[in-house]
Amino acid sequence: MNLLFEKLCVLSRSQKIRNISIQFVFLIFVGLFVYYLVSKTLQLDITLSHFASRAGFGISHIFYTDYTSNDNRWAAYLAGVINTVRVCLVGIVLATLLGTIMGVARLSKNLLFSTISYVYVEILRNTPLLIQIIFWQIIFLQLPRISEALTLGNNVVISNRGILLPFAASNENGYGGLWIAIIAISLILSLSISFYINKQEDITGKVVKLYNFRLSGNLIGLLLFFTATIVTYFLLQQPYNIDLPSLYQNDKGTYLQSGGFEFTPEFGAILFALVMYTGTFITEIVRGSIQSLPKGQSEAAQAIGLSNYQTMTLIILPQALRSIIPPLTNQYLNLTKNSSLSVVIAYPELFMVSRTIMNNSGRALPVFFLILLTYLTLSLAISMVMNIINRRVTSIGT
Amino acid sequence: MKDFKILFLLLSVMSLAVISACGSETETITETVEVIKEVMVEKPSTLETVKSRGSLKCGVNDNLTGFGVLTASGAFEGFDVDYCKAVAAAILGDASKVEYVPLTASARFEALSAGEIDLLIRNTTWTASRDRDLANDFTATTFYDGQGMMVYADSGYKTIEDMAGATVCVLQGTTTELNLDDRFTSANLDYTPLTFETNDPLQAAFEEKRCDGWTTDKSGLASKRAEFPAAAGGPEALTVLAETLSKEPLGPLTRDNDSQFYDVVQWVVFGLIQAEESGITSANVAAMAANPTDPGMARLLGVPFSGGEVADFQFGVDAKFIQHAIAAVGNYGEIYERHLTPLGLTRSGSLNDQWTNGGLIYAPPFR
Repeated sequence: MNLLFEKLCVLSRSQKIRNISIQFVFLIFVGLFVYYLVSKTLQLDITLSHFASRAGFGISHIFYTDYTSNDNRWAAYLAGVINTVRVCLVGIVLATLLGTIMGVARLSKNLLFSTISYVYVEILRNTPLLIQIIFWQIIFLQLPRISEALTLGNNVVISNRGILLPFAASNENGYGGLWIAIIAISLILSLSISFYINKQEDITGKVVKLYNFRLSGNLIGLLLFFTATIVTYFLLQQPYNIDLPSLYQNDKGTYLQSGGFEFTPEFGAILFALVMYTGTFITEIVRGSIQSLPKGQSEAAQAIGLSNYQTMTLIILPQALRSIIPPLTNQYLNLTKNSSLSVVIAYPELFMVSRTIMNNSGRALPVFFLILLTYLTLSLAISMVMNIINRRVTSIGT
Repeated sequence: MKDFKILFLLLSVMSLAVISACGSETETITETVEVIKEVMVEKPSTLETVKSRGSLKCGVNDNLTGFGVLTASGAFEGFDVDYCKAVAAAILGDASKVEYVPLTASARFEALSAGEIDLLIRNTTWTASRDRDLANDFTATTFYDGQGMMVYADSGYKTIEDMAGATVCVLQGTTTELNLDDRFTSANLDYTPLTFETNDPLQAAFEEKRCDGWTTDKSGLASKRAEFPAAAGGPEALTVLAETLSKEPLGPLTRDNDSQFYDVVQWVVFGLIQAEESGITSANVAAMAANPTDPGMARLLGVPFSGGEVADFQFGVDAKFIQHAIAAVGNYGEIYERHLTPLGLTRSGSLNDQWTNGGLIYAPPFR
């Protein structure tokens, strides 16, 4: 025994043995910790079977689906996912536009433009997004109250319940889906035909002429598209009507509004906040990418007589795009993830709906996994699209 | 190669030690695993935790006047807060030894089941699914509430049936949201629920008339109405509809399978009710304890009756625990009078009157 102890003492002097035994002890602790977590988790119900039961709660912003509280929790969850996707898609498009304009303005020789852009970036980038969301909600709530709502003829109603715009409403004759499909097909067809004609014109130099009037590919495509959609619209007995918003008083004399496309203060607040906030980062990305190009590019463009606008759109931006896209993808992902903050202003996106489900069912863990999985899917989808675009932009000579 | 040999030697020595210690029988090993599991998974009784910590962690509302509110001076006060004080006084003998943890409606249950707080008293409704699913136990009802609907007085709404097409502001993650939907769906009325996570943005939206109605427990509506800012019209601009949409019994919650602590909390609630029935108040409790008028009162206060023995119920706390609680916050009627009467919640004739007056406030016998 004594001999063994001495042997162990000698061994403990070896750096290698000591390292291995420390790691071994550490591994035991990690193992126990994992065991603890797993044993805790197994006490909970970790299936999503409760999603098949009746949801039982209403959702204020329903878009595309026709969710009612009688549907199951999956339907409620889907309504939440659609609300997230909706604010993200619109937000990404608007933030990109805003960021590009502000990024170019930032480098403008016009002092007014560059100052506006500078102030915009410095103020909005350096304040918390959550505060901005609440700020925009308060701003939107300052719209006229419904009893003093503004109307533009019968077409627009503006109040702090929401801005109502005319919108297409599907007729009950059931041809709505078919007509949408025809629109999509004719859009693709007319686009490819106009591309083909333009390409032929470039290659052969032949021009399609009707009497003495030159028909370009663009014109033919447009004509084709509108003829196809309008003719089928009447053939299918007008599957869509125009849904005009209305402002009315009920028998108690209280004002209510309904119909049309509803732009609510909650959607507006989260959209404005996300666009303005993400726009600042895109501004900086655009500015940085343009500045990273050699000055010779713009000088050469001016030397061959291109205007400022042409220099920007034909020479500078196409080259800057290569270094813009990868960091831009990051900002798109940030915007998507930040949309979960709208939980504070009553915009029912996926996080908010899932929290309600979690509360009603009491099973937080599986729902949280579902939320994580959904955000992951959204983020990976955005990354995939942006990678495809990036590959197209960076490939040279096509 | 030599290193490997040494490592192998080390490992075999260690495993030999483990096997010899456990008698190398699988049964003993399983037992050891059970013990380890018990130590790691099971928590000690909350009552012991509270005693050794010397303070009670109480989950409360910080934004509901009358029930739980954080005042300008930084102190918590309200009906629910007084029950935190009563439990702290009963266990620790000092009503000030409470750590208040303000919680949102949706975070409260997880805070309790995760052990962040010992006791949840945050105007929480007792329902079957919450009792079953959320790893909590409801102790007793301290306030019989019901969901109501508050509208602007000038809107002309008198009943829920008038409110077709209305927008209703509601808090997220509450039974309120579900009751609201049940009521409108069963009446076949179209409505829009505007669901908020916290009260402040909800109130901001309601003040700007973003919603036609505001629904929550009637007690909550009374408190919000009482403090409605004058700039938005003051309390007179609002009416609470007569209809009650649901049964909402509110009360304290403890964690599942913690019967020792559960019993203490439950009997503190009952003790304060019994105290009112027996006519014991915070003002006369000392005199009553010194000279109890009957054996029942002596049992309640944990004192001997005319020189006899003390009837200790062995709750794991001091036999005088009810006495301490009464001394700290008064009986049920005093707590109600202090916090809920100022809100305009009339007690006489309501469900929250003593059973002797036709209400539901009733304590099982102390014997």
